[in-house]
Amino acid sequence: MNINDYKDVILAGAVVIAGAIGAYLLLPHRHGLTKPTAARWIGAASGALSIALIMLFFTPPGAFLRTVFFYAFAILSLAGGGLTITSRDPVASALWFASVILATSGLFLLAGAQFLAAGTVIVYAGAIIVTFLFVIMLASKQGCAFYDRSARSPARATFTCFLLFFGLMYTLLIAKGDVSFGGLKTPFRGAITARDITPTTFGPPNKFGTAIHVFEKAIPRTSRLAPSQVVPAAGASASGIPPKHVAGLGGSLYADNLIAIEAVGVLLFVALVGAVAIAAPKPPVRSGASAGRATK
Amino acid sequence: MLTFLGLTALLIKIGLVVGISQGAVAYLIYVERKIAAYAQDRIGPNRCGREFGVPLGLIQPLADGAKMILKEDVIPKYVHKTTFILAPMIAIVTATIGFAVVPFGPVGAGAPRLGADWPVQFQIAPGVDIGIVYILAIGSLAVYAVVLAGWSSNNKYSFLGGLRSSAQLISYEIPMGLSILGIVLLARSLDLNTIIEWQDRHGWGIFWQPIGFLIFLVSAFAETNRLPFDLPESEQELVGGFHTEYSAMKFGMFFLGEYLHVITVSFLTVILFFGGWDLPFVLSADQTSWISAIFKVIVMMSKVSMMIVFIMWIRWTLPRFRYDTLMNLAWKSLLPLGLLNLTVTAVLAQMILGG
Repeated sequence: MNINDYKDVILAGAVVIAGAIGAYLLLPHRHGLTKPTAARWIGAASGALSIALIMLFFTPPGAFLRTVFFYAFAILSLAGGGLTITSRDPVASALWFASVILATSGLFLLAGAQFLAAGTVIVYAGAIIVTFLFVIMLASKQGCAFYDRSARSPARATFTCFLLFFGLMYTLLIAKGDVSFGGLKTPFRGAITARDITPTTFGPPNKFGTAIHVFEKAIPRTSRLAPSQVVPAAGASASGIPPKHVAGLGGSLYADNLIAIEAVGVLLFVALVGAVAIAAPKPPVRSGASAGRATK
Repeated sequence: MLTFLGLTALLIKIGLVVGISQGAVAYLIYVERKIAAYAQDRIGPNRCGREFGVPLGLIQPLADGAKMILKEDVIPKYVHKTTFILAPMIAIVTATIGFAVVPFGPVGAGAPRLGADWPVQFQIAPGVDIGIVYILAIGSLAVYAVVLAGWSSNNKYSFLGGLRSSAQLISYEIPMGLSILGIVLLARSLDLNTIIEWQDRHGWGIFWQPIGFLIFLVSAFAETNRLPFDLPESEQELVGGFHTEYSAMKFGMFFLGEYLHVITVSFLTVILFFGGWDLPFVLSADQTSWISAIFKVIVMMSKVSMMIVFIMWIRWTLPRFRYDTLMNLAWKSLLPLGLLNLTVTAVLAQMILGG
């Protein structure tokens, strides 16, 4: 085996190790004590190095402005993610989480997935994180509580997460994924071409075939999208107007993935009923109050 | 691909829209004061600029703006400083970027052309397929400004104001979204310009969706924190609400954000329910000349102005809601009504207009 074949994996290892050191040093102390300032600076530098190194694996999309925005959103989402877990102020954590969501939806926009971007902002930034903030603000008075300032077994958590991260990167490098947008490229061996990708089927073949085939038998793909509705490559068409694709998305959701959509709908409805059942006002606990009302 | 020329045109357009909308806000405050004065049988601002021969106190907005900028900017010691400074910025940014998909005149095939192949679109980002969803997404971010302002002020009045407001904004987003879905179903598009063109062919949205219009109007008042829904800053109970601790231009930014919201909501109401630039029997999507385009812009702006005046008029007509009645209105009246409206619209659209 040539050492050149392993250069990418070594670089991935450097990303993971620098990131792990940075995250561990930046995480709050195990017992809520203050860490020395030097440790935090080293941690920040190490984390920044890790983010800078992982940028080598990304393929910038096309034109100059798109590239600038791509790197800005990518760096913001990675750094925001790191700051979400390492800030000691829960409100700051929630705000960094919101910035991760916004940067991610920016990346969705660059990839041409407008509806997904807007949906992510509405659901996560607009509803879920606001609810987080609501609870945090009601719960914590001025000054952070002990459980906000301490991390639960930071060393083991860092080790596990970055081991998983390395596994992910290694698998992606080996599997030679699609590099059309934002996919991993190998910095040393150059970009992977489409011919490297071979379709694979998961699971052993049996008399029912794969799960996909079961679905295809249940719902024939009669309403496959017409070519006019298929989303072309990201970016504006010649007239400067981006192509329509919400119709395509709706067609795909309600034709190809009908069972999944209905299942999710039923699940959400059941959850809604359950929430109402839990939140319903209970009869008064004190016997005197209930007895008094009952006698009247 | 975006060319250099296209980019320059885009930046000019953004500058124009931001400049005009912020300038309009200054004069909206003047109009609001005048309407308030007439409602209370007063005269209102009429002196400012008399020395320079300007009638009717028309440079009052400049004086107001100068006052905002020149006042002392106090940041109390006990506030959470980063979020305290961040909150007004969020308020003004979320209020401004909503304009990106709002059409101000003809867009797309109906747009007038400079030369043979350069259509002039009266919209910053023409042809955004998700137009209305984008505005809802931006609107859902506006709640951050109020929550953070209330929390970071570290003051019980501000905090209560912030909590009330976030509950109110989150609650009223749902009926607002539901009320829009009816007209989206009929027009079969989320793109604001397509919705206008559909109304141009089939009649205004208010005739197709009267209940949807009512729900939208009520939710819009709540989303902009205007009376009768201005509980976040109800003076009698909460001093100034979430902006009690803010002074000078930081307060001015909240003020600006609120009026920008009023403009956005008026644009949305006109676009969704009053046909946008459409004038029945006179203007249609087929006219692409420059004269018709300018006429369309004028029609649109007059409709929006009437809507804004209507919003200000309501302020001096209805008293403020109590908090529990406010929540009851959203969850027990508007939400079921919105669901019913959506269901009936979907069934009728399927049965009458066809699949």
